[in-house]
Amino acid sequence: MSEHAAPAYALPPALITRADLARLVREIEGLDNELEAQKARNHATGQTGYHMPNLSQGMADFIELNKLNLADDQGRMHVKEQMKIMKNKAPIVHMTFAVEADPISLQQLVAYMRKELHPQTLLSVGLQPAIVGGVYMRTPNQVHDFSVRAKLAASRGIIEQEIENLSGVIQVVEAPQTPMAAAPQTAEAARPA
Amino acid sequence: MVGSLAAACAAFVWVAITLNRQGGGAGPKKSVNDLNKAYTDIAEEDATHLFNKEFREELRNRGRLRFEKIIEENAMFLKQDLDQTTAQLNEYMKQQVSAKLDTEFAAYAKAMQEAQELALASLQRTAQDVESQRVALAEALKKDVAEREGALLKVYEQNMAKIVEHYVLQALGDQFDLKSQMPYIIAQMEANKQNIAEDMRL
Repeated sequence: MSEHAAPAYALPPALITRADLARLVREIEGLDNELEAQKARNHATGQTGYHMPNLSQGMADFIELNKLNLADDQGRMHVKEQMKIMKNKAPIVHMTFAVEADPISLQQLVAYMRKELHPQTLLSVGLQPAIVGGVYMRTPNQVHDFSVRAKLAASRGIIEQEIENLSGVIQVVEAPQTPMAAAPQTAEAARPA
Repeated sequence: MVGSLAAACAAFVWVAITLNRQGGGAGPKKSVNDLNKAYTDIAEEDATHLFNKEFREELRNRGRLRFEKIIEENAMFLKQDLDQTTAQLNEYMKQQVSAKLDTEFAAYAKAMQEAQELALASLQRTAQDVESQRVALAEALKKDVAEREGALLKVYEQNMAKIVEHYVLQALGDQFDLKSQMPYIIAQMEANKQNIAEDMRL
């Protein structure tokens, strides 16, 4: 891990999943191809400088966040290689929610995780309504159940304790005597003298 | 009838004496055959005179009356004997039937008494058995109800948490959106931040 440690490139909050990162890598490769083509044409025509093609919002955010100059051939090559490494090495956290996850909340979550846990954290999002609320999170080696279902299950003892406390308060009423007790006397009286 | 025979004998004797007088008096002595013939004729004539139609009717009437009298007397005796026998037979039958009936009635009464006593004893035993079974059943039921009550309470207490949890799960459902859950999720992650971060750095 230390040998192939992920470079310290920050990922923009809009880049959440591994697919987003793969898309970014493909865009960088496409950009590199485009710039290499321009470089070849410039070499043929004797012109200098690149004409930057239109970039996606995610790519623009990534470049701005990391203060990158993609016009530099070596820097661009380095970024491309590092992004490929990052795509393979970035830790992926699987998060399962009870409801459909909206992009803003996911961005908020991934921003927190990249700030507090790991700067290249990627998310894999799932949906499981049975957990009611919260999140069921699976890191590379551990599982963390922060769901409401787990919280309720863990709190069962509280209800049982309350019922146990109430059991002494409720009075148990004795069942009334059945009329069968008078039956033998009646039979005795009915016998002939 | 005896009188008629006596009268006939007397008439025959009178005829014999009369003939004897006539033959021993005047006139020549007649032969024996003539005499026998004469006696026979005279006897026939006298018999005709003696046993005429009225006399025979009289004799028949007398005989009938006598016979009827004897018949009546015998009938009376027979009736008396028959009545007496009938009375005795009735009395005997009455005594026998009464004795037999008394014996049978006594046996019947005795059998009825024994049957009644047996039935009474059986009823008493049945009542005692029913009472003992009722007491045992009541005890068993009471114990069983207490055990079931305890078991139900135990199960209730054990499952109440699940019931409440199920209720909460069903009641809440998907009422929360992710935005409203974010503070809770981030708080949970913050509480386990160290552990999660170490796992992700490996």
